Amino acid sequence: MALEDYRTDMEMCCRCSICKFVPLEKLTEKRHSYVCPSIARYNFHTYSGGGRTSMGLALLDEELEYDEKLLEVVYNCQMCGACDMSCKYAMDIEVLEPINEIRIKCVEGGHTVPALDGIISSLRNQATMVPGAKAKRGDWAAGLDVKDITKQQAGVIYHAGCRVCYDQDLRQVATNTIELLKKAGIDVGIAGENEICCGGRAYQMGYKEDFLNQAKKYMEIIRKSGAKTLVTGCADCYHAFKVPYDKFGLKGDLEVMHATEYLARLIEEGKLKPTKKVDIKVTYHDPCHLGRLGEPYIHWEGNPVPGHIRIFDPPKEFRRGTYGVYEPPRDVLKSIPGLKLVEMDRVKEYAWCCGAGGGVRESNPDFAKWTAGERISEAESTGADAIVTACSGCEQNFKETIDECGSSLKVYDVVELLARAI
Amino acid sequence: MSTKDKLTEIIGAGNISTEESALEEYYKDMSFVNAIKPGCIVKPRSTADIETIVRWANETLTPLVPVSSGPPHFRGDTVPGIGGSVIVDLSGMKKIIKVDRVNRVAMFEPGITFKELIPAVAREGLRLNLPLLPRALKSVTGSLLEREPVVMPKYHWDLGDPLACVEVIFGTGDMFRTGAAAGPGTLEEQWAAGGAQKEAAGPSAFSLYRVIQGAQGTMGIVTWSSVRCELIPRLEEPFLIDSTKLDKILEMVHWLIRLRLVNECFILNNADMAAIMAKKWPGDYRELKDNLPPWVLFFNIAGYEYLAEERVSGQIADMRETAQRVGLEPVKAIGEITASALLKIVQQPSEEPYWKLRNKGACHDIFFLTIYDNLPGILDAMYEEANATGYPTSEMGIYLQPIVQGSNCHCEFNLFYNPEDRDESARVRELSERAVASLMAKGAFFSRPYGTSTGAIMNRDAATVAALKKVKSILDPNCIMNPGKLCF
Amino acid sequence: MVLKRELYQALEDVVGPENISEAPVILGSYAQRGRPRFEAVTLPKTTEEVQAIVRLCNRFGVQFKASSSGWGAYGDAGGPGVVKLDLRRMNRILEINEKNMYVVVEPYVIYAQLQAELMKRGLNCNITGAGSNCSALPLAAHQGIGHLSVSGSYGERNQLALEWVTPEGEIVRAGSLGSIGQWWCGDGPGPSLRGIIRGNVMPLGGLGVYTKAAQKIYHWPGPATFPIEGVSPHYRPNQIPPGFMIHYISFPSPEKLSKAAQKVGEAEIGFILMGFNPGMISANIATNNNEDLAYIKQFTDSVQGPGFLIIMAGNSPRDTEYKEKALQQIIDEYGGEPLEAVEEPKNAGGFMWRFIRVTSSIREVARASGIFAGEVGGTDVFPLMHQYIMRSAPVKQRYIDEGKLLADGTDPFVQSVEHGHAGHAELLIRFNKQDPGSLKVAGEIAQFANKTAIEGHFGVPGHAWGDAAHDQYGPHTLNYHKWLRKIKKTFDPNAASESTNYITADN
Repeated sequence: MALEDYRTDMEMCCRCSICKFVPLEKLTEKRHSYVCPSIARYNFHTYSGGGRTSMGLALLDEELEYDEKLLEVVYNCQMCGACDMSCKYAMDIEVLEPINEIRIKCVEGGHTVPALDGIISSLRNQATMVPGAKAKRGDWAAGLDVKDITKQQAGVIYHAGCRVCYDQDLRQVATNTIELLKKAGIDVGIAGENEICCGGRAYQMGYKEDFLNQAKKYMEIIRKSGAKTLVTGCADCYHAFKVPYDKFGLKGDLEVMHATEYLARLIEEGKLKPTKKVDIKVTYHDPCHLGRLGEPYIHWEGNPVPGHIRIFDPPKEFRRGTYGVYEPPRDVLKSIPGLKLVEMDRVKEYAWCCGAGGGVRESNPDFAKWTAGERISEAESTGADAIVTACSGCEQNFKETIDECGSSLKVYDVVELLARAI
Repeated sequence: MSTKDKLTEIIGAGNISTEESALEEYYKDMSFVNAIKPGCIVKPRSTADIETIVRWANETLTPLVPVSSGPPHFRGDTVPGIGGSVIVDLSGMKKIIKVDRVNRVAMFEPGITFKELIPAVAREGLRLNLPLLPRALKSVTGSLLEREPVVMPKYHWDLGDPLACVEVIFGTGDMFRTGAAAGPGTLEEQWAAGGAQKEAAGPSAFSLYRVIQGAQGTMGIVTWSSVRCELIPRLEEPFLIDSTKLDKILEMVHWLIRLRLVNECFILNNADMAAIMAKKWPGDYRELKDNLPPWVLFFNIAGYEYLAEERVSGQIADMRETAQRVGLEPVKAIGEITASALLKIVQQPSEEPYWKLRNKGACHDIFFLTIYDNLPGILDAMYEEANATGYPTSEMGIYLQPIVQGSNCHCEFNLFYNPEDRDESARVRELSERAVASLMAKGAFFSRPYGTSTGAIMNRDAATVAALKKVKSILDPNCIMNPGKLCF
Repeated sequence: MVLKRELYQALEDVVGPENISEAPVILGSYAQRGRPRFEAVTLPKTTEEVQAIVRLCNRFGVQFKASSSGWGAYGDAGGPGVVKLDLRRMNRILEINEKNMYVVVEPYVIYAQLQAELMKRGLNCNITGAGSNCSALPLAAHQGIGHLSVSGSYGERNQLALEWVTPEGEIVRAGSLGSIGQWWCGDGPGPSLRGIIRGNVMPLGGLGVYTKAAQKIYHWPGPATFPIEGVSPHYRPNQIPPGFMIHYISFPSPEKLSKAAQKVGEAEIGFILMGFNPGMISANIATNNNEDLAYIKQFTDSVQGPGFLIIMAGNSPRDTEYKEKALQQIIDEYGGEPLEAVEEPKNAGGFMWRFIRVTSSIREVARASGIFAGEVGGTDVFPLMHQYIMRSAPVKQRYIDEGKLLADGTDPFVQSVEHGHAGHAELLIRFNKQDPGSLKVAGEIAQFANKTAIEGHFGVPGHAWGDAAHDQYGPHTLNYHKWLRKIKKTFDPNAASESTNYITADN
């Protein structure tokens, strides 16, 4: 698909502005009623989902130059999908897809920003979208007694993800996950230093070719490993394997699970039993790419039915965020003795983005931190001691922002807390 | 040609007067405004008469003062502001044009009084949302144009209610009809289509009735008006609550109106209640006043066509729960005063003599809008001013009328006085003028400024005055309509 | 046209460089496709900034147009040389006064936010029928009539004090606000300026900028938070709060519907009363267009004739019981029949909440094809408005039969205002905008609507805006357009407030 294929979707935007807000049925107070960080920060309509779709049309019709301001608008978006979800409460149109296609069109035309080019360069050279050397990728697993899937077959492959591999502060999540899986008797392996970036964020940033290259390479690694199930603790990676890999026909029969989904299953089956008390009051942050964007891809091919109402033959089912992964992380948390879970105002399909996604953390760290700051403030308003999430990208951005703003809120991954309870 | 001759040509000799005795009825009223004699009085018969008069007035730059009610007048708005004015007395225009049960609206000329209109609408099962005991010769149109507060706050959705549409001759001499009455089509064509001249707003992007209301005749002359009507209940149960604590009464009133439990609903102090209910003067009045508690809340619960009894009994039970929560007790009578007697009284105009004049022969009203929150401070300020001017606060009537479904409260101080007593008159005048600033400081909004305090009130809001002058320049560019009133 | 640098710099000095833009990518998103672009977009934060922008526009001879949530096409520039004031940063709820039942907001508070805050306090507000995604300023919407209007009236009537930056850049604070700095009265002293700033429709950007306004609010007998469960788009309450009831009642004829609605009004039992047609009911519940079509058929087949949706809310168990019984008597009297699908437990709560929160208007008007048109009646007595819209039903049917419009039924929509004292009606059409025949139909229906209103004496409808419409209606309506022009000319001598959708002083 290309931007042109979404022309009708973009033309159907009626400028109602629900893309800027949480689903209005769920709005319980004025505070925390915005859902799009981009327009919340920059205020011009252009930064919203509706504004971006009108930009897409203008680009298709060559009414706009790829100038600095345009690129600033294009890349100051976390690609969190909140606008898409909010819009699809009422409308049968794609919003995030054309927004993504705008980026792809920019990249194909050579209209990029240096910060993102730098990340892609690292991807091409070091197979990572986080600064680091390929050779160091497996260091996080040093000392861990776990299969190397490039040498041995395993039933489950654990994908650590670039952030975990190269950020010491995040490694515990991965090591905890491996320990828990082994405790549960799971035949798990890792690619270690042979693991490569899933490429998902490259796709979000518009570097479609680079994404496809990564995806093909990675699926070859997985195929060779014999693993039927891939588990990852990073929401971005989870989304990559589950959605665009599937979209481009690369996923095959691979079962893709987030670590929290898998662990929730193990707890349900009695293979993991949280018994130790963890006395803490937490609030859970739904990562965009695990939550609203984490629902399975829907393969569909068809044609619009001519007429005065937008329907398709065969009928098209839209991904609206309904089937994202919301409950398993919560189930894991609720299984931990002593832990008290309180919810923020913006949760599940309408969770506020952590701020890191879409290349924003790299190209506009101020905006990323501003976005995280809003979320941290929302978490603090619950009275929780900690914000817990299930994505290394979210955790990284929250931690950095908390350090800067001096909040006393702690940041944990769901897996870390579960590990304490077992 | 003299003014009289020209006007005689327009409306006929029988409808014009320059007799001294006739002029004297209009050159002053019961307010403290300066007496200024008009040049003559005309009594138009129709819209066409009025159009012609206004056009003539434009040509000759003759000031016109419209009057629709009969005497006595109290506000000073019908006393000419400058000499040589022509009084346009509409009190003889007495047609009731239409009463429409289905659409709950009545249309009538400006000379129609409450006494005349109430039975006319009652024949269709309708009633008016009345001001409190209007005087016998009070014009309904006049009352509506003055935005007088009404006793059923539930049915008072907007400050302009219950006025619907008007036909007006603007100061330019142009005829216009506001709201739905503007058209398209003549009134007859609109009626044939099912129109009822009830929608007040419009046509389209303005609502000129709102600038005619409150204008004291400075924008034009209204030749008919229509009024929103309500249904006559099938069943009514009125109640009284007395208290020394106004805050509790206000709490009760807030909930009665908020939950839409009551029709008539207002608060009177002992002086006003006694003035209304006393049959024999001065004995009854004194006794009633001295035995009444400081504050009395009156309200009426009503049922209509469907399940009237069940509705009323349910609402009474809900009302009692509210009263219990607030710590008040609703009763059917306080001493000799029964709720049902008061209900009967307030569903009609005042009997003669006008209730405000029974005590001492004259009464000056200080009235304004406010909200419940402001009332304690306002009362304190008024008592302080009264004490400073030597007006006995125990003699002062106080009428609190929740309006606009409880979002505003009309507050009225009735200063009874003997007009023959110069000192008393001077005290009342002094109090009426000096109190304004103190009251405004405590949250009194004089939305309807009259008389000698008008300047002080209007001058507080220069931007509104500037805007109003722009409106005036459109509707009455030659300033012939009641010059000297408001800010004009 | 590019703004003079001196003007741009001055505007930048007012709002700050990050709150003004003339970048093509920014300007493009503020214009509907094919329509003129603004020369610059500004994001003022305060009334003083708005005033400064307006004064600069006057000084430099350019026009300005303000908007809040910006949905309506009337927020667009009418031509070149217009500066946009996007009031998004003016988004505060300034006061909620429960005792005196009013609230004060800035333009970019949306109704969903306001209602949510009010419900916490046992209060409620009328939400404009376009949806709770729209501005809660009672002066922002085209008309402001909404679902609650039967018991909660609408913008023109709920309006209390307001703050107005006039087209020349004066700040007028109407009513009690100007005199004593309090918000609860919008009229006076003396005549009310509310009469100039709007009628049953708004000036749509052509008479300056409204920067703050107070409005009446109403009692809410429901919970502080409506208990919604589920994930988008399948929201539903886990219970219907006690005292709340919802019914859709169809009647054997439009006359019976009209009479029944009148009786509901006189009995004062309606909380929400909306004469939705099956197409609007289906749009409310359907989560996609396929479902919508299926529900249209199901509901159309299930009703005996035109109907209304009624929600009742009892303030007490006694009140609830009375209302339910009274409604049943009225239904029996006029041969009404319930649409069971609405009352089914699995559906009722969702319907109820969506109608209370007014979240499904977008589904109704835009999901089918992204565009809608039709006619918008005025506000007048209920039977008249009903009759007016009914005239257009056969015309719509003809176009449906010709394949030019979506077949979503021709029962017009009509609603009750202030317990039946007034009514309002609209005819909605939806069509594929790529179909030139359909676009033409929209114009033809508009012309038919105008002809009907004029020749049938049905009042000036709400869809009449702009010079051409006013010039068409005015001569039949006591030349109101001349007075409106005088107001425009007097208050906007420099024609600074862009008024394509209001009236210009030119003619």
